[in-house]
Amino acid sequence: MISVRQAGVRFYFDRHLKVMTRNGARLRPHGSTKWGVRNISFESAGGEGIAFIGRSGSGKTTMLRLLAQVYWPDEGEVAVRGRVASLLSIDAGLLSLLSGRENAMLLGVLGGLSRRASRRALESIKERSRLDDAFDQPVSTYSQGMRARLGFAVAEEVEPQILLLDEVHEALDHEYRDFVQERAQQIIEKGGIVVAAGHDHPMLARLCKRALWLQDGVVREDGPFDQVQRRYLDAAHAHA
Amino acid sequence: MNRVRPPVAASTSFSGDEVNLRCVESKLEALTKSADVPRRPSRGRAAMRSLRRTADLLRALTEADLRFRYGRGPGRLLRWILEPFALVGVYLLLVTFVLDRPGPAPGLSLAAAIIPFQLVMATVANAMEAIDIRKPILLNMRFERRLIPLSSTFTESTAFAASFLLIVVMMVAYGVGPTTALVWLPLILFVNLYLAAAGAYAASLLGLWLHELKPFLLSFVRMLFFLGPGLVPLAATGSGAQEILRFNPLSGMFEAYRSVFLHGEAPAAWELLYPFAIATAILLVFVPIYRSEQREFAKVV
Repeated sequence: MISVRQAGVRFYFDRHLKVMTRNGARLRPHGSTKWGVRNISFESAGGEGIAFIGRSGSGKTTMLRLLAQVYWPDEGEVAVRGRVASLLSIDAGLLSLLSGRENAMLLGVLGGLSRRASRRALESIKERSRLDDAFDQPVSTYSQGMRARLGFAVAEEVEPQILLLDEVHEALDHEYRDFVQERAQQIIEKGGIVVAAGHDHPMLARLCKRALWLQDGVVREDGPFDQVQRRYLDAAHAHA
Repeated sequence: MNRVRPPVAASTSFSGDEVNLRCVESKLEALTKSADVPRRPSRGRAAMRSLRRTADLLRALTEADLRFRYGRGPGRLLRWILEPFALVGVYLLLVTFVLDRPGPAPGLSLAAAIIPFQLVMATVANAMEAIDIRKPILLNMRFERRLIPLSSTFTESTAFAASFLLIVVMMVAYGVGPTTALVWLPLILFVNLYLAAAGAYAASLLGLWLHELKPFLLSFVRMLFFLGPGLVPLAATGSGAQEILRFNPLSGMFEAYRSVFLHGEAPAAWELLYPFAIATAILLVFVPIYRSEQREFAKVV
């Protein structure tokens, strides 16, 4: 239920290297541009886990943000069908001055729940995130792992058909990783899609049977995880 | 465990403008042929659902914004109430002792200008930061970003509502009773909120584009208080100045509040129509740009 056709995301900079919008770039002609990803094509009918692997800056996060519609494609086309939940930033989309409960309420509504449903879900989010009393404390006091747990618990509440995970899941402790892995597996078994990116390959291998190797913003290889990962690691070691 | 889920499966397709691949949709249809897609609701029900969803989103964004900016507890209510009192106090000293132009019920006259101005000023200041402070969410998920400036307006409306206590206190202090002219108040409030919302759309974009110039932009808005009948009523200014000051959309607002609270009469048509027209013009210019720019917010925050 994901179809990406020759998609590209471009960043615009002014001459002082400040990132601009496309309209801003038209007003300031002396800037520069850089493609974050380009000519990316892949499809997934569902029922699989897809890993984005590649070195830092290769376009993994940009691709995930494109699928989450955080970024729009500057060229090509992206079609996503199904409820999407995403954990794409290290702060898991949480506002630091709000408490865990307040963030859960806000993210629940932004994620597609009604206010009433979001309020009803608070106790189960608290339980699933295993934050206990910290749920009512400001998120600024949370560790990265606690943020990721809360972000995942909220994301899970919308019963996603497509789950997008960036390196944020790597901040989770081993107990919670097992929980995430179990939930991701359930999504895949129900015909959904899990797309994950990161450098923790054993974790990715448990979630995904397919991998896309991204290099300099383009797909270098698309295939079974073990095969793509081996070639990526061989290339990485050869480069080192 | 009781689970709730959004009623309709989300379906999105979005493209860049350099390549248009019509085949994608048909391929997607083929891919999802066997998927369990719920039937489309009727147009009326869909519109109701969309309206409810917008109201939910707006309320959630506003509640979070209120807590983020003003914290919790009774302290924030105290701040909302005391701030306009403090401003009236300072300007009252200025008008009475420094400028020596007190006029009738100067405290009430000042309050009638400060309250609508504070709504516009606070909304513009809020909107300038509104995109930036939501960076964690903008980078993590898709949501209706077009509602962000509106939520700035609603956030500051809370302080605006609290500040009406100032009007009541001033009316009591000067022995000015309420009149039937108060029936115009809902319309005046609507125009005031409309003007603030228009300012919010412009400010959220300007705050993003001209990050370094935010203090200057705020000073410009603050200047509009003094380049209008903020300190003294329009009638107390020179006839030449009056014609110029009327170009300031806030002048009409200030005078409209004075009409209903101080003079007990209906506001003149220009006092509401001119700010309404300016706000509409601002919205007509900035909303389409905002809709286009919102796609790039995550790249620039």
